[in-house]
Amino acid sequence: MKNGICSRFLCLFFLATVLVTAKPALAVLGESVDSISSDRRALVATRGSVTVHDGYQVQEIGSDAITIREYISPSGVVFAIAWNGIAVPDLTSLLGSYANDYQTALKQAPRKPGRRFRQIKTDRVVVERWGHMRNLQGRAYSPALVPQGVSIDEIK
Amino acid sequence: MKSSNVLILLCLLVLTAGCGGGGGGVSNTKSGTSATLVRITVSPTSPSIAYGMSEPFTLTGTYSDSSTKILTAAAIWNSSNPSVATFSNLTGVAASSMTGTTTIGASYGGFSQSTQLTVTPAALVSITVAPASSSIAFGTTEQFTATGTYTDNTTQNLTTSATWISSAPAVAVVSNATGSNGLVTSQATGTTGTALIMARSGLVSGSTMLTVTGGIAATANNVLSITVNGSLCSSSTSVGYVNKPCVSVKVCAPGSTTACTTVSDILLDTGSFGLRIFKTALTVPLTQVTANGGSLAECAQFGDGSSEWGPINLADVVLGNETAASVPIQVIDSTFGTVPGTCGTPDQTPEAAGFNGILGVGVFGEDCGSICTTDSNLGLYYSCNGSVCNGTTVPLADQVHNPVVSLPTDSNGVIVELPDVSLSGASSANGNLVLGIGTETNNIPPGVTTYSTDEYGEINTVFSGTTYAGIIDSGSNGLFFTSPSASMIPNCSSSSEWFCPSTTTTLSAVNNSASGSTSGQVLFSLGNFVTLANAGNNVFSDIGAEQPSLFDWGLPFYFGRFVYVGIEGQGSSLGIGPYFAY
Repeated sequence: MKNGICSRFLCLFFLATVLVTAKPALAVLGESVDSISSDRRALVATRGSVTVHDGYQVQEIGSDAITIREYISPSGVVFAIAWNGIAVPDLTSLLGSYANDYQTALKQAPRKPGRRFRQIKTDRVVVERWGHMRNLQGRAYSPALVPQGVSIDEIK
Repeated sequence: MKSSNVLILLCLLVLTAGCGGGGGGVSNTKSGTSATLVRITVSPTSPSIAYGMSEPFTLTGTYSDSSTKILTAAAIWNSSNPSVATFSNLTGVAASSMTGTTTIGASYGGFSQSTQLTVTPAALVSITVAPASSSIAFGTTEQFTATGTYTDNTTQNLTTSATWISSAPAVAVVSNATGSNGLVTSQATGTTGTALIMARSGLVSGSTMLTVTGGIAATANNVLSITVNGSLCSSSTSVGYVNKPCVSVKVCAPGSTTACTTVSDILLDTGSFGLRIFKTALTVPLTQVTANGGSLAECAQFGDGSSEWGPINLADVVLGNETAASVPIQVIDSTFGTVPGTCGTPDQTPEAAGFNGILGVGVFGEDCGSICTTDSNLGLYYSCNGSVCNGTTVPLADQVHNPVVSLPTDSNGVIVELPDVSLSGASSANGNLVLGIGTETNNIPPGVTTYSTDEYGEINTVFSGTTYAGIIDSGSNGLFFTSPSASMIPNCSSSSEWFCPSTTTTLSAVNNSASGSTSGQVLFSLGNFVTLANAGNNVFSDIGAEQPSLFDWGLPFYFGRFVYVGIEGQGSSLGIGPYFAY
């Protein structure tokens, strides 16, 4: 493909059409932001935005049911993902190459009855889930990818 | 990569390149060690604490590349007036010594910043009502006393100044008359039963359970006993499970008063909506709900990622002596149909779940709401034919219901009434779940504040300078929030998520209604979990653990309070739900 293939107006029209009609495109933890893969779950996006923070950007994709926030480093890598909503997004898709680590560690982690928070920690990835019925929440991040100076508390 | 996605990226590149860097681009690069310090910031700004409390401070450095770094431990701190508050460079915490003001200053790398700390007079933290858990015969009296404990650990007799309240005037009344404050009289013509006797001063209250014996043997229809780690909890599901509030519920085949089974070890949960009971505990035939030509089933999901899977059945649910007729409940059965992959590993046994069932009596009438009437793909509701289960939409009427909304009267909410628990804990505690708000003589709200929630069932909670979403959840067994300071409120160990402060510490937060129209301070204590648990108790008013982003007022919040849970769209003298009031 050539760079001159679409004019800015055509592009705007095309992007608007895609954003309105398609499933949102979700990046995967640990991969570059241009490695876009469609989420398996039919999350019909009704809103999407990018906010710039000190040292990273957050791309938010939302539907009436679930909001997903992707934390993108200056080099364009998704170093963390946070979500909340009435249901939980498909973590296997979102975690990408970290999904197996998570599933393996999850099976070995003891249950803590009464606790409405659970942390699954491996060398490569930390997955935390909390919240309550009607607003289930969580975040996943790869400690090695979190840019220097960015606090984990900012991922929420 | 799909070609359409390539096109999107390409277009984004064209757009951003052509716009002259009009924002949104990845240009905010970090240069790491080469960046220079631009400014330092002390937080919180101008805090105020009551005498006896401590305040952790944080110093944040901002660098030339916009990155930030916590510099608390590296900075030089001082307090301008050590007689008001001393500052520990080791911990970053200011400890109050007397009332007054002092300036807390921090210096680092040639920069200086300061903020004022105000120490106000000692504040009331808790009230203890004595004698605890007493029992008297009908027609007799008993004098109760109220003792207040303050932030400086002093105590004061509040018997004559507190406002006294009986949760059940038909069982016992309590006097507020001068000369007889706190004198309880059981009703000679009243009913045998229980009343919580409460003493309140401002926003702080304490209570204890009184049992009246020998009267007319008829307990109120709208009351369920709650035992926290008591007789209504099963020992087999409660191993290592502290602060577990249990109730007992009767489930009948729809329309039947004889085909019934009473199930105990049901977790009382104001953080969820609807009744869910393990199939193994149900011995009566219920009616399967259908959806899209199949059997309706659900993957009910909880905050920690745990889930319950099983079909939705209609049942008559008897709470106290009141019947919610033909209510959709979930029968927990991991062998039903095929568990969808996105449901994770749903609980297979009561021992795995930690309960025989869970009674969700939170602020909503259904567990999902309108989104499930239009979206079949949420991973919540499924239509099952044999072993094949596909996502389905569900009308509100067929969703699992908070059974309270289906009661003939008393349907506008519930009151959770639990007694004081001392800072050292108790082996068990007994209280009442009262149905309805302002609908009977035993559920009239006595001067409480209403905190309306948002569409998630959340209020907001301001703690240590940060505003959090807040929930008041009896199904959470501790106070779960983000520690304001790892030196003041540390975890017990790297493998434990519970907090272990070296001494019992008083903390302060402010709850606001979601709309911001009401607010009130909450002072609460946090003890050392390991020390407390090692003493062999199961019930604690002062345990907590780390959790991001959400301030979860779990069961410890309930002790010594009456907490009103108002259901969405239902009115009472406290307002229209959804709300919490206390």
